[in-house]
Amino acid sequence: MISTARLAETLTRRLFLDRQLQLWSGALAPTWSPSEILARVVAVVAETRDTRTFVLAPNRHWRGHRAGQHTMVDVERDGARVRRCYSLSSAPGGRRVAITVKRVPGGRVSGFLHESLRVGDIVRLSPPAGDFVLPDDHRPELLFVSGGSGITPLMSMLRDLDRRDAVEDVVFVHYARAKRDVIFGVELERLAARHPGLRLILCLDDAANGGFDEARLAAAVPDFAERATFLCGPAGLMERVERMWHAAGASARLTRERFSAPPRKEAASVADGTVAPEVAVTLARAGRTVAVATGAPLLETLERAGERPPNGCRIGICHTCKCTKRSGTVENLLTGAISDAADEEIQLCISVPRSDVELGL
Amino acid sequence: MEPRTLSRDEADAFGRELDALKSEVVADLGQRDTDHIRRVIGAQRVAEATGRVLLHVGFDPLTFVAGTGALALSKILENMEIGHNVMHGQYDWTGDPALDSRAYEWDIVCAGDDWRHSHNYEHHTFTNIVGKDRDVGYMFLRVTEEQRWRPAHLMQPASALALAALFQWGVALHDLRIDELLRGKQSARAFAQRARPFLTKASWQLFKDYAFYPALALWNAPRVLAGNLIANLVRNVWSFAVIFCGHFPDGVRYYGQDETRDESRGQWYVRQLNGSANLEGNRWMHLLTGHLSHQIEHHLFPDVPAARYPEMAPRVREICARYGQSYCTGSFARQLGSVAARLVRLSLPAKLPHSAAASASN
Repeated sequence: MISTARLAETLTRRLFLDRQLQLWSGALAPTWSPSEILARVVAVVAETRDTRTFVLAPNRHWRGHRAGQHTMVDVERDGARVRRCYSLSSAPGGRRVAITVKRVPGGRVSGFLHESLRVGDIVRLSPPAGDFVLPDDHRPELLFVSGGSGITPLMSMLRDLDRRDAVEDVVFVHYARAKRDVIFGVELERLAARHPGLRLILCLDDAANGGFDEARLAAAVPDFAERATFLCGPAGLMERVERMWHAAGASARLTRERFSAPPRKEAASVADGTVAPEVAVTLARAGRTVAVATGAPLLETLERAGERPPNGCRIGICHTCKCTKRSGTVENLLTGAISDAADEEIQLCISVPRSDVELGL
Repeated sequence: MEPRTLSRDEADAFGRELDALKSEVVADLGQRDTDHIRRVIGAQRVAEATGRVLLHVGFDPLTFVAGTGALALSKILENMEIGHNVMHGQYDWTGDPALDSRAYEWDIVCAGDDWRHSHNYEHHTFTNIVGKDRDVGYMFLRVTEEQRWRPAHLMQPASALALAALFQWGVALHDLRIDELLRGKQSARAFAQRARPFLTKASWQLFKDYAFYPALALWNAPRVLAGNLIANLVRNVWSFAVIFCGHFPDGVRYYGQDETRDESRGQWYVRQLNGSANLEGNRWMHLLTGHLSHQIEHHLFPDVPAARYPEMAPRVREICARYGQSYCTGSFARQLGSVAARLVRLSLPAKLPHSAAASASN
């Protein structure tokens, strides 16, 4: 039997009623949509001088998130949609969700959100995604390590534990420039006062214990290697924590979330001259061929050539820029993996070309 | 003035200037282009809703005429400025799924996917190459002396009028390649496969305009049915006229397959220019033709938002003038008259001396 919903969808589409619905709902019920997640901004909270929390009321298509996951926020800039990933900072379970956004100097989306997004505005979200989450059967001894705005997914986890009254033994180490730059500082202290099992260690650059230091961290958390550790922060901090955990043989207990692309590896084959500095990239569907440099990811160089492939996070997380590589060789910047077979799926934002390439764009 | 024949190098230099113009406009695309197409979409939806309400609830001739007019306007905007241009990929850069060329489906009986192939790829790539561009006379009208005369062409003044009235069906059937089936160049199985999306689309379109909406109007059903029929007819005749004026008036050149072999990108540009003709008019004229009044600019830059063609046109003309290229343009009445005269003239077989004179003048 055909489901009623399916039949209704076919009828509205074939009779073009969906287009009428879209027009009138835009005026009458702005968050109504047949399929997209639209959310109304219900509050904007200034957390620090460069960070704001946007509390959103999504429509019925939002199915809820797990603590630590992220969503892609879609805004229109200069007539075109631009998407960025933001971690959800709110605890799961509520009808309202929050993203906490640090303003990046020159950032197109974060700048727009800070300057122009007001209570009552509508934003478009993607379904929550990401595997940076607390497993259901996690060990009770937890360690959260965050730097700067990397605190947002961890805050969602802590709020989740708090809501479920499951804060048993959590050490929260957070690195920030100064006291006034600590996002959620007041709430963290309130939670620490309420839960004896939560130990808060703030490391501030302008205080004695500022800056990351392996020995100091090991002294403060002697059993760090035994704890289930969740890490999110700037690339430099993450790299040093990863090395420290690796040395302690505890890499398996370390879960990470990246906000920025890892430092770009210089493509060896470009440096030693085995790959030409420029290759031809053919966009098969568009019927165009453009010359691009081999030193940078395809997304970046295609955009420089005036193309606008769909994209999102730009750091290899969201898979929006995924497309079929019909022929040619590309290298994955994150893993170093070489893709040279025909018709393989690649992510443009983290793939550098190693030969002429044909894409299904 | 007789247009100058450009050498390959000259044609490439000509092409580079057009490329530069295109890059300049593409770099400037932004909010105003997105706002424009959304405004047109909003106006089209309002026109459609108004037209349907007037047809459904009214009972006097005045609301019938107004309702049918609003519905026809809506269908013209949807077909020309929205459907045709969105499906060309002119707004893909916006990332808006409602403006996605691959997903858009228009309100005519021709299935979007069929048209995307036959029009975007074949017609725009092989424009005016006799034997390769199936849009030259749509495989049954004789629009150039390069096409061999057949007795069926005697009927073409009448068959062209029939095509005008049924243009959406012509566009749809054109993509099924019935001529190839008849000549045994296409298997019955391939034909059936090809016809399936069309049959689905056409059934829904017929159901929508001639069953669903009339039934919704209860006792007003005949009135709604008549209104829908007339609105479709008006849209058909209008789009027929605009499209015929774009490729078939005097002054447009046709090409043989031999002379376009190993064509460079610059020469492709020259052929697009010579194979198209513009219509002069005000901004309403441009909007209602979906900016196909700038058929030349459309053929040079098919994926640039069409609302930009009016500002690109003077610069294209200036580049053409410098390279000694003609730029075919005229009023709607003049171009349409020229198309009609040509269809009548070419319905008869050409006597040899006359034929030589005709091809020399082209």
